[in-house]
Amino acid sequence: MHETAIAKAILDRITDRLNNLHHASNATAVEVRVGEFRNVDPESLSFAFDSLKKEYPTCIACALNLELIETRALCKDGRHEYKASADNAYRCPNCGSAIGTLVSGKELDITKIVVSQNK
Amino acid sequence: MHGPTELHILERLLEDNEQLASHNQEHFDELGLLAVNLMSAPGAGKTSLIKSTAKLMPADCPIAVIEGDMVGELDVERLREDNIPAYQISTGRACHLDAQMVAQLLHTTKLPDCKILFLENVGNLVCPAEFPLGEHLRIVLLSITEGDDKPIKYPVIFHNCDAVIFTKSDLLPFCKFSLEKAKDAISSLNPAVEFFVVSTISGDGLPQWRNWIVEKANKKISHLHIGL
Ligand SMILES: Nc1nc2c(ncn2[C@@H]2O[C@H](COP(=O)(O)OP(=O)(O)OP(=O)(O)O)[C@@H](O)[C@H]2O)c(=O)[nH]1
Ligand SMILES: [Mg+2]
Ligand SMILES: [Zn+2]
Repeated sequence: MHETAIAKAILDRITDRLNNLHHASNATAVEVRVGEFRNVDPESLSFAFDSLKKEYPTCIACALNLELIETRALCKDGRHEYKASADNAYRCPNCGSAIGTLVSGKELDITKIVVSQNK
Repeated sequence: MHGPTELHILERLLEDNEQLASHNQEHFDELGLLAVNLMSAPGAGKTSLIKSTAKLMPADCPIAVIEGDMVGELDVERLREDNIPAYQISTGRACHLDAQMVAQLLHTTKLPDCKILFLENVGNLVCPAEFPLGEHLRIVLLSITEGDDKPIKYPVIFHNCDAVIFTKSDLLPFCKFSLEKAKDAISSLNPAVEFFVVSTISGDGLPQWRNWIVEKANKKISHLHIGL
């Protein structure tokens, strides 16, 4: 269950950001981009985030919005770009060759934090 | 300024782990050793493979082991029975080793002179894939009893490794496991990977694996000396 470690990393990053702001603020939402080829289960991550955020006073009302990114690869032999999935055994549907390089699917980034200033 | 503000940022999560992993690799390089991350499902035969490999090592290629387990010291004790220097990391609730745990051990423990340091990860085909430790080589063990469909089900770990060792090959006659099918599935994820097929019971395949890893260690170490 490394989703717990990831949820903690998200909350720690938000807290760092809020601490750098001039005004005391809370986070109301955070957007996280998760690649499909990253071994992260979105439901477990949301569950871990919602349990852990109670321990972070500035994040108690923070919603986690996940943007899921599909796995795309350039094939080894033809350099065709394709969606790599178990359906085609991760091979290129155009020429049958193996994964050369991944184009997307390894993302695990915070892209946005929505902040509201305390009254 | 009132109302909500949006902070648009791009921060990579788990970046701390990656930075610490590079830091660990500097330690490994200074110590002049090859660090090898061994990953597999529980019970695929990591500790058995280390014990059997140690017996076949040339005298000028001593090994040491860092053992990651959630609880207990059972594997460390098995290694010490054979006089293999072994150090325990208890990962507690975490189902993987991470770079911080390894860094802490490196900062508090003096490792013996060795050429190969095996990092035996917690038995798990999912989480260890996401946490590099600073290793030079990543090796996945897949035992014959687990089934030849595992590479398709756990693609991430098989995509990002240098070698796959099929273990418990003595059980091939009793299991419906197609080596060809498993190799094909792994090659589609990772065309450059090396394969070994071994049994610690019969000893099959162990010399080939030993030759490969010793050569990797020697290359690494001579490279480090040139670098100095
Ligand atoms: N038949 C057969 N059994 C093996 C072989 N290698 C290991 N085993 C058995 O598999 C079981 C698990 O082996 P371990 O070496 O403890 O596996 P491990 O991957 O270190 O296990 P964890 O650290 O708990 O994940 C033991 O009962 C071993 O005796 C082999 O080559 N053939
Ligand atoms: Mg073990
Ligand atoms: Zn192609």
